[in-house]
Amino acid sequence: MVPGSHTAVGYTGERGSLFGLALKTGLLTVLTLGIYRFWAKTRIRRYLWSSVSVDGDRLEYSGTGLEKLLGFLAAVVILAVYLGIVQLLLFYFGLHFVVEPESGEEALMQLAVIYISLLAVLPLMLFASYRARRYLMARTRLRGIRFGMDAAAWGYVWRALLHYLMTLLTLGILLPRQTFWLEKYKADRTHYGDARFVQGGRWVALYPAMIHLGIAAAILAASVVLLALTEDPTRAVPLGVLGYGWGFFGWAFYAVRSRRYLDSHKMLGGSVGFVAEPRVGRVIAIYALGFLAVGLAGGAIFAVASALTAVAVGSLTGAEGTGAAGIVIVALLYLATFAVFGALTLAYITQPLIAHFCETLTVLNLEALQSVRQRPHDRGADAEGFADALDIGAAI
Amino acid sequence: MSAPEGQVPAVFYDGTTARRHPVLIAPTQDRLGLAVLFDAPDLTPVVWPFDRIRALADQSNPASLTLTLYADSTDESPRDPARLFVSDPGAVAWLRRTRPSLFKRDLRPGTYRKVALWLAGAAGAVAMMLFVILPGLANFLAERIPLEQEVAFGRAVMAQVEYLFRDGDEQMVCDDPKGRAALDRMTARLTRGQTIPYDLDVRVYNHPMPNALTAPGGQIVIFRGLLDKAASAEEVAGVLGHEIGHAVHRDPTRLTMRAAGSAGILSIVLGDVSGGTLVGIAGEHLMQAAYTRDAEEAADDYALMLLGDAGISAAPLAEFFGRIATLTDDIPEYLSSHPLGAGRAAKMRAAGLENADGRILDDVDWQALKRICD
Repeated sequence: MVPGSHTAVGYTGERGSLFGLALKTGLLTVLTLGIYRFWAKTRIRRYLWSSVSVDGDRLEYSGTGLEKLLGFLAAVVILAVYLGIVQLLLFYFGLHFVVEPESGEEALMQLAVIYISLLAVLPLMLFASYRARRYLMARTRLRGIRFGMDAAAWGYVWRALLHYLMTLLTLGILLPRQTFWLEKYKADRTHYGDARFVQGGRWVALYPAMIHLGIAAAILAASVVLLALTEDPTRAVPLGVLGYGWGFFGWAFYAVRSRRYLDSHKMLGGSVGFVAEPRVGRVIAIYALGFLAVGLAGGAIFAVASALTAVAVGSLTGAEGTGAAGIVIVALLYLATFAVFGALTLAYITQPLIAHFCETLTVLNLEALQSVRQRPHDRGADAEGFADALDIGAAI
Repeated sequence: MSAPEGQVPAVFYDGTTARRHPVLIAPTQDRLGLAVLFDAPDLTPVVWPFDRIRALADQSNPASLTLTLYADSTDESPRDPARLFVSDPGAVAWLRRTRPSLFKRDLRPGTYRKVALWLAGAAGAVAMMLFVILPGLANFLAERIPLEQEVAFGRAVMAQVEYLFRDGDEQMVCDDPKGRAALDRMTARLTRGQTIPYDLDVRVYNHPMPNALTAPGGQIVIFRGLLDKAASAEEVAGVLGHEIGHAVHRDPTRLTMRAAGSAGILSIVLGDVSGGTLVGIAGEHLMQAAYTRDAEEAADDYALMLLGDAGISAAPLAEFFGRIATLTDDIPEYLSSHPLGAGRAAKMRAAGLENADGRILDDVDWQALKRICD
């Protein structure tokens, strides 16, 4: 137990102002054919970060849209060369297996060839996800002091690949081991100023969080056995559906409970601790209500946009059919609708989730931060360019 | 509200430690800067010149300001790492009202040049990849695929095509024996004396589309609609020659490989759903069209060569292209995957094969071919 004070983390962002900012930047993104998206993301992050307060001090996001654009350009060139050549070569070697599959082995081989091209991207995605986290840390400040993360993306890539393989081979039984050690790898390389985070705890302690995933697996197995024994789908199928639904719940339960354990066992600079108490029910409720709200509001907006489109196209349609102007208007309205959906999702799902995770976090012995000193500026590597190009980590 | 008379409380973060300094701020005597006064005696006051004071933008609480200083630094932005947090309503309002440079974005000199260079460099590199390296690599590899692999691949493609066009359980391949024999005679006569790397597999599919296509490995399909629309056997022979040209040049294999390499590159460049997708589809289409137009011209040339060697006039083929031109010439050439019909027809006429007036099939065979699907 860490001695000293308990400080609650607060979140002060408002739905309306975030929605306004997201909608404005989303429409600018549409009008600039996507180029503004780097600035849009940066501005939204500034808002979200500045909404998080610890004892009256607010987080600061200091990234710039410009560096994100440049990082993206560099990543695109590297990815274009890598993906172009790898995909072409894979296709070439894949051709050697294209025969009408006459045996199970040959069918399996064809399947493998298809998935190899996915595997060619997987290391890059892991690399990108670590570097994106490093960039986010390097651009986050509290009390003027930078967070930061060591440049260790490739070490993360091979560890993650091995953990994935182990988890796969053990049918998910080693999932807590994967979750724990990958989080520890990242946490132990994270700093606030000159103070280092350390992930404590034990990986087996994540097994209780797995309980509902286990139940879901048992139900699914039972439904398969039932189908095999009775050959009566009327009883096996509802059981399978139940197992499937339980699996969704189990996944949410695992995600929230493992985060609770992992964050509560982190230490900063050897003396600052954390208590994280996010609730599974609340997270599921946020998603459910959020989807409902986004669905209803988005549906209404979509209907209005469709009507506007019909009117616009109708007035532009002459004897020669719909002209170029009509097509442009339809395309812009279509894309603007996406911008609205994005802004709604941010305001009704992403922000409430962030708020919940912040408001259930308590910092122990915050005073110890007094002695933390600044760390040097990190150029931020590709400024998330790879993650942007591969379209991962899209939420914020 | 006027400028704060006295001093106003604020919080200062020095940028080198995580300490929080409670401070008092007030404009300096000369009104050119903001004085930051510490209550700890060991710290000397700091003065921030007003013209260099900036505030963080897009903050969630408009009632307060986080101030920073425009300064030359190697950071992501030209800003001093120190921060001054002001929440006094009077001071915040006064700063917002009287400091026009508060939210100024300070770009380092040469930023626009740098962005332009990066944009041009990235565009150049991607274009190089799409239009030089990938096509080159595709051609290189296409030459090296073992024949039997290519044929096997072609079979798989044909199975797909058949599946796509099949209408119910109806037999796709037309196999009336007399028509079949006529088609074989046409193929044999066209290719007599030529070196063709494949055993050509020419068949007719029972489908009303007036078209023909070539799959990898010398597998050619003529759709019934083309036989219906053709006025003479020589027109069909011209189209068949064109498709044989594709097969000999290994176009289907090369183009599929190029597509496999370039698939995804454009979507990476243009990114997310909002904005890029439509442009991406258009770009992909333009690229494919540019690839195939060259291949089509080469196949036309090959067809002319075949017709010439077989002593058959190109005039019927010219006429055929002239006829389809009325259908397709509304599309500008850069959007179209085939060279424009009218242009092709002119080229065929110019090929000077008028004096060759040989027939590819006699009337009996031609009628048999037309009825191959009956």
